[in-house]
Amino acid sequence: MKTKMLTCLILLFAFGFGLFVFADSHEKEEEMNKLVFPKAYKSTTVKDGGKISGVVKFEGEVPEKKKLEITKDPKVCGVTDKFDESLVVGDGMALKNTIVYLMDISQGKDFDKDAKVEIDQKDCRFDPHVQIIPVGTVLTMLNNDKATHNVHIFGTKKNNTEINIQQTKNRKKMRLTRFKSKNAEGPVEVKCDIHGWMKAWVAYVPHPYFAVTNEKGEFTLEDVPAGTYKLGYWHEACGTNNKEPVTVTVTAGGEVKQDFTLKLKK
Amino acid sequence: MRTKNVVHLVLILGLLSVLNLTYAQDTPEVSEEGKEVYEESCAHCHGIEGRGDGSAAENLLPRPRDFTRGLYKIRSTESGQLPTDQDLFDIITIGMPGSSMPGWETSLSANDRWEVVAYIKTFYDGFKESETPPRQISLEGKIPYSEDSVEIGKVLYTQFACFECHGNLGRGDGTSAPTLQDEWGFKSWPANLTQSWNYRGGNGIDDIYKRFIGGIAGSAMPMFEDPAFGLTIEQSKRYNELDSKVEMTESEEEEYNQLDEKMGNAYEILDLMADGDATEEQKQIYDTAMKAFNVKSWHLANYVKSLSPEKQPEPAIGKNVLRSQYTINELPEIADAAWETLESSYFPLVGQIIVEPRQFNPTIDSVNVKSFYNDTEVVFLFTWDDRTHNTEVEEDEDTGTTFEDAIAIQFPVKVPKGPTAEKPYFLWGGRKAVYLWQWKASDADKVTELTAKGINNAEAQEVQGDIQAKSEYTDGQYKLWVKRALKTDDKKDLQLESGVFVPIAFSAWDGANGDVDTKRVISSWYSFVLEPVPSSRRFIYPPLVALLSFGLLVGLRQFVRQRNT
Amino acid sequence: MKRVSLFTICFVIFIISWVFLEFVMGGVISKPIPSSVISMYMALILIAILVHVSVEDTRFREFLRPIHETLVDENRHVRRIVLAVLIPLLMLGYTYSNLAQKANPPGDPRDAHPSPPLELTYKDEVIGSMQTVENPHRHYEKDDPEKFKSHVENGRRVYYQNCFYCHGDHLDGQGHFADALNPLPANFQDPGIIPNFQESFFFWRISKGGPGLPASGTPWNSAMPIWEDHLTKEEIWDVILFLSDYTGYPYRTFGEGH
Repeated sequence: MKTKMLTCLILLFAFGFGLFVFADSHEKEEEMNKLVFPKAYKSTTVKDGGKISGVVKFEGEVPEKKKLEITKDPKVCGVTDKFDESLVVGDGMALKNTIVYLMDISQGKDFDKDAKVEIDQKDCRFDPHVQIIPVGTVLTMLNNDKATHNVHIFGTKKNNTEINIQQTKNRKKMRLTRFKSKNAEGPVEVKCDIHGWMKAWVAYVPHPYFAVTNEKGEFTLEDVPAGTYKLGYWHEACGTNNKEPVTVTVTAGGEVKQDFTLKLKK
Repeated sequence: MRTKNVVHLVLILGLLSVLNLTYAQDTPEVSEEGKEVYEESCAHCHGIEGRGDGSAAENLLPRPRDFTRGLYKIRSTESGQLPTDQDLFDIITIGMPGSSMPGWETSLSANDRWEVVAYIKTFYDGFKESETPPRQISLEGKIPYSEDSVEIGKVLYTQFACFECHGNLGRGDGTSAPTLQDEWGFKSWPANLTQSWNYRGGNGIDDIYKRFIGGIAGSAMPMFEDPAFGLTIEQSKRYNELDSKVEMTESEEEEYNQLDEKMGNAYEILDLMADGDATEEQKQIYDTAMKAFNVKSWHLANYVKSLSPEKQPEPAIGKNVLRSQYTINELPEIADAAWETLESSYFPLVGQIIVEPRQFNPTIDSVNVKSFYNDTEVVFLFTWDDRTHNTEVEEDEDTGTTFEDAIAIQFPVKVPKGPTAEKPYFLWGGRKAVYLWQWKASDADKVTELTAKGINNAEAQEVQGDIQAKSEYTDGQYKLWVKRALKTDDKKDLQLESGVFVPIAFSAWDGANGDVDTKRVISSWYSFVLEPVPSSRRFIYPPLVALLSFGLLVGLRQFVRQRNT
Repeated sequence: MKRVSLFTICFVIFIISWVFLEFVMGGVISKPIPSSVISMYMALILIAILVHVSVEDTRFREFLRPIHETLVDENRHVRRIVLAVLIPLLMLGYTYSNLAQKANPPGDPRDAHPSPPLELTYKDEVIGSMQTVENPHRHYEKDDPEKFKSHVENGRRVYYQNCFYCHGDHLDGQGHFADALNPLPANFQDPGIIPNFQESFFFWRISKGGPGLPASGTPWNSAMPIWEDHLTKEEIWDVILFLSDYTGYPYRTFGEGH
């Protein structure tokens, strides 16, 4: 009886362990497309911080700009032409909408309290396409269209902060108060089901060292305390460098240049 | 030595019992039994680990629920909340009509179903972590169903923008319908509200109300907020009236601005409430606005309820068989009022899963038919719901395949004599040929005659007879009107005769659902009859029979009397 | 107390028999009985009654007496007039309703359990005689229960990937595609199905499908696919194991009577 029991236990443990490993490998794949956050972050005053800046460029054949088919409300949505924004490449191969950030910073400046955390719905397009949201901050959705939208934010697999709420044309401003994310996560997709082409991304982040590249592919991270950090990026179509982050060393008051060249995700 | 042994034994036994105890605590007995039932009855769709990836999942749409995400569509709880145990139990018991999830009331005992509830909850940690029970949707202030309420609901249906997905008349044909996806990126169609027997969460008014207060998690159905928060029903009606005006007078503009401000205030308070920063006065405004919203929602629920018959119609067999009605007048045109005088016959359709490529997830669920005939011609009116109007043939770039909406009505070439006589194979014939009328949306006023000897063996007849056809597509519904002579000269055509039951079957294609060739919806053989004109004999024979029986009685009496004397 | 006449007794028996057939047999006990069958039984009962009363002369006379009296007796005047009006009226109503009735579609007489061919085949390959072929995976049930279980599991997979659309999650013939089909998909939970047939019979029905039926089984109506086009031999044998395993009904074995 004793041996049987022990065998059972051992088998059970082995099985459980197997499951754990299996589940882990499942999640790892998803983690590859997410941002990496430090275990904890403490905000202090940063004196004489350094600066990290650079340009993100795209490498490879630039696919033809895909014009979006306006299948609905042409009077409101069809006024301007809209294009697929999953890969926006500007002059000199500059790559827009790339998040560049510090993966492992554990203390630094506080969030800019005045920064606007909002996404505008105008001409049936989300603006901006990528929005950084400090954890616990309320995202405000503006509706400047004479059309009804629905704001559908997808949760990550681990954490279902699902939002799907209708914003009729009468509601110019909607603060998603009830849905503020307590945990750092993302980026997760934002969608309007009514106008199926409308897509954007939001990331809930625990510290302010995040930047999104502009049309010229430029980014700047300011007030970085002196030290050595892992610099990561995320792009909708090009993926992340989670496996091989770039290491940068910031000196007090100094400036570090770090450019990236991204290829399409396989 | 002995005592040592005894001590050892006691120690071992003690250890074992402790191990046993911890084991029992980790996996309570309920779930062990639940696991057994789950693996026997649920795992083939929902997967052993509850990921919704069982062996049958691939061909199902909507996909089986992934229990590891804690996302449940049908809940009695508010948006973003987990379902209650009762919610899960009810779904298992009743099933999800219109999907492949059946009810388990007859095949699992109530106890087994509760065990399964306990077991599927173990797939998602959120159930363990949540300390407070999920917030349930209050059904307070329910407004009883009435014509007046339905009228109000109808206006709100537009204001709440339901038509964007569900369409003007609720057939699921809104302009957003073609692009909707569920959380997993699979195609998801808005409900056809005129088919209440397919409402996943039941078709009671309370059920409908819960769906728009709580939303349908994982689908495109959002949680609804009052689109005119802070306004009463009258005010919001007025607001929308003014809003749609091209030009407003000065006083109208003032009124509009007042309403707009009131609404803006209410929305701000809504946000303040969520922050917990509202003053008492604001709280009152909020309460009033929320009450108005609930009232509106109940009216809306009543309106949705009014859109559909309670039950799925009986299929056209037995006494419900399709009877073409005789008329001495001209046969009615597609839009004639004469059609309203007939009851339609209902033919359910299902996916064709016999021949590859197959259709496992059909979108067309039935076709309704009415018919008239006169001495020379017969006319049919076929009606079916299709959420999308795919007229322009869309091409698959890779294969060159084209997708468009279509229907085909199938008859035998010759009517089999007697019930045991051989019919052609129901799926477009086989050894015996079938005669078909095929209509395609790209050529909306034409029907082509086909002869087929198999689903992949159909040809347009070389000599196309004189068949008139007209069609309409409005608000998610096709109407096809077809008129043909009863008799033709073509041997490959079906010849019609009054009083004879003729086999009939259907195939239909929804281009937006990828239907093409064998990928389609079908029915098996039904029948229809040109209902014979009631003969005048019915006025002559019965009195004759009555007279005769009277005569017999008199005769019998005479006979008996004579024999007696 | 007045004795009840023989005629009344016969009349009452006749009516009770009809009520029994129409409502008790064809309602409470089982499905409604077709009117043609009922008329046949009623004719038999009528003949039986007539035979019974006419065996003896005296009994026959006793039987006829009330009829006799009603027809000629002076003091039965009222009853006579009532019957003389009522009977022709009933006949009138009956004939009218018969003539005005709409014709019903012909039924589809169909042999639900048609006789199988003598040889069991898969595609063109002959497996053996229908009577003697056994499920090649059946013996694992005793020899290697683990292996048997894996075959049943494979059968379960095959079933839920292919069959449950029509035959249902519960194997009760009520799948979500069933309602448009005529004849309805087989209900394996019906105790009259699995125990009455050998596994080879099931193999034949599955592999050859609707089109493989003999004419008496109306092959042109059945939506059962020809599964040998989609499934391997092993898969068919496994799904046969699964059907019995799930429902708990054993198949009939060779040599066992019905």
